[in-house]
Amino acid sequence: MSLLEIKNLHVSVVGKEILKGVDLTINAGEVHAIMGPNGTGKSTLSNVIAGREGYEVTQGSVTFDGKDVFAMAADERARAGIFLAFQYPVEIPGVTTSAFLKTAINAKRRAEGKTEIDAMEFLKLVKAKTKALGMADDMIKRMLNVGFSGGEKKRAEVLQMTLLEPKLAILDETDSGLDIDALKIVSEGVNALRAPTRGFLVITHYQRLLDYIVPDFVHVLAGGKVVASGGKELAKELEATGYAKYQGAAA
Amino acid sequence: MKSPGILDHAFGAAYAKRLGGLPGAATTALDALRQRARVTLGTDGLPGPKLEEWRFTPLRGLAKIPFIPAASAEDIEVSDVPLSVPKIAGAARIVLVNGVYRPDLSDQDFSGVSVSPLSTKNVDGRELLGHLATPSAAPLVALNTAYMAEGIALHVHGAAKPIHLVSIGASGAEPAAFHPRVLIVAEANSSLTLIETHVGLPGQPYFSNPVTEIVLGSGAAVRRYVEVAEDADAFHLATTAVAVAENATFEAFHLGLGGALVRQETHVAFAGTDATVKLHGAYALSGKSHHDFTTVIDHHVPSCKSNQIFKGVVADDAHGVYQGRIHVARDAQKTDARQLHKALFLNRGPKVDCKPELEIYADDVQCAHGAATGEIDPDHLFYLLSRGIDPERARNLLVEGFLADAVNEISDETVRDVFVGQIAGWLKKRGVQS
Ligand SMILES: Nc1ncnc2c1ncn2[C@@H]1O[C@H](COP(=O)(O)OP(=O)(O)OP(=O)(O)O)[C@@H](O)[C@H]1O
Ligand SMILES: [Mg+2]
Repeated sequence: MSLLEIKNLHVSVVGKEILKGVDLTINAGEVHAIMGPNGTGKSTLSNVIAGREGYEVTQGSVTFDGKDVFAMAADERARAGIFLAFQYPVEIPGVTTSAFLKTAINAKRRAEGKTEIDAMEFLKLVKAKTKALGMADDMIKRMLNVGFSGGEKKRAEVLQMTLLEPKLAILDETDSGLDIDALKIVSEGVNALRAPTRGFLVITHYQRLLDYIVPDFVHVLAGGKVVASGGKELAKELEATGYAKYQGAAA
Repeated sequence: MKSPGILDHAFGAAYAKRLGGLPGAATTALDALRQRARVTLGTDGLPGPKLEEWRFTPLRGLAKIPFIPAASAEDIEVSDVPLSVPKIAGAARIVLVNGVYRPDLSDQDFSGVSVSPLSTKNVDGRELLGHLATPSAAPLVALNTAYMAEGIALHVHGAAKPIHLVSIGASGAEPAAFHPRVLIVAEANSSLTLIETHVGLPGQPYFSNPVTEIVLGSGAAVRRYVEVAEDADAFHLATTAVAVAENATFEAFHLGLGGALVRQETHVAFAGTDATVKLHGAYALSGKSHHDFTTVIDHHVPSCKSNQIFKGVVADDAHGVYQGRIHVARDAQKTDARQLHKALFLNRGPKVDCKPELEIYADDVQCAHGAATGEIDPDHLFYLLSRGIDPERARNLLVEGFLADAVNEISDETVRDVFVGQIAGWLKKRGVQS
């Protein structure tokens, strides 16, 4: 059974069809990269998998671990092991990062029948992970994402991923906004999580990221469909040629 | 002459008669004060809906109830402090039941402050009663002054140990009313942290009508943190009048969590330059609860600062009101006066009224006010859900986060934690739905 199976997925946003029959299968242990022109539906695809409202699925199916994703609420999907690192993480004033992280960790632990994490253990865990990602440890005292720089927000997304240890991690342009050093550090964080039981869907515009997080498969999403799939060399080819030939193919 | 639109009410001659002799009757000054207030009450009565200051908070429901003086009811027994009253570490507790001091439920280990129940003979500073809260200006103050029987006077000499004043309201077979009076005199450079918890027992509605007068000497620092979590059927109309001398700091926080009809009205007058007032509040209302926060800040003198941040969440059919008046006199140059009110709707039923009034006659001042209402941002909610947090916890986190701007203004960490806990308790009890 595949970890994630997307079949003939059609999705509309405010009446306009964005995804027009996406097929994609991710097995545990695999890293898939999706590239494609702006506005082609990459974030739409990740949001639909994560359960954001405002999208109308008109056809097709998505299963996760064999279960119908659309039958689960967003929070259930997350507890089942789906994680989306947002392209644009929202700022939430008033909620401290530490309260948020603790609540999220405990939601997962409760679902697994474990007791809540104790305060000391939590602090130790977060300290170790923030250090590994090159983040200041007092950042968890700040309001969630509020005033974080673009790169800090992306690191914070990866921090959440490493704390929640999902089965499927979708990284929506996690590399954009990161400086060269941060790109390396964040990639190491992702690579450390690579495991035979875990799958990744990495959305990016830049081949550079894929030098660090080496994908098993690369797909081109254009015109609402996967129009080409290949190995990591496809990313190199795209870097040289652009999307011109695929945009014709999709229309 | 009766003002237009006033309401008939239960607080007439029969009420006064049932009350019997009032303590301190021998003190002529006190009795004269009461007599004058009774005249004002007789002519002005309770404010009706046509009175601008009471437009958003109608007292018709209150006026219809045949209240008796709580002191005259013999069937009320309160032998314990309700469990909902938080313990404040390091604070000495003073308990009032229906406004009457209860030594058996109170602590005695005060320091830096002399505490005297108003009914005792030699009340330290009693001559100051009625100087700030004047009946003619405020009908609820007139009601309190006419019938004030009990209460507490706090005379602060130095760095006082914090005091936790607990007010418990209760009725017997008949609805009962009480009119406690609190007088706080903080000498120059003294300091006091006062926490107040206003709760009550279910049953017949009760009516708490406290008046608090606070005089801050030069350089004094008073912090007052009030939680009103009255019974769902109870009335609570509180008036506070504060005078702040030069270089003094008054910090107040008013938390509204429960009660059928609640008003926390505060009047602040700056009496000396370079003084600072922080007057903040938060409310979380459900059911049919109505809470009104009314503030009047008078900048008569130059170089004073006042800041107000009020934030509230409303659900069901609740009604929140914020009215903030700032008056800056012509001579009050270099005034810095700010106010902000924001409300969050948890569903479509509740109502919020906000009325800022800025009267500015000085030219070299900084004044700002802001107001906004909204709902929980679906993007914020989705972010939390996408991390596996269930909808109820996610909403609670966002509500607490919304109120945090105001609550974080509480400078006393112990009290801030307690108030955060009280809000969390409210959310838990309610189990916020969409
Ligand atoms: N709420 C919305 N209302 C209207 N249009 C929307 C909405 N959400 C998405 N769209 C449209 O759907 C299309 C796909 O958007 P999406 O964000 O999925 O693109 P993307 O492939 O992630 O692009 P980028 O590479 O720029 O991040 C765009 O044309 C976008 O304008
Ligand atoms: Mg995108």
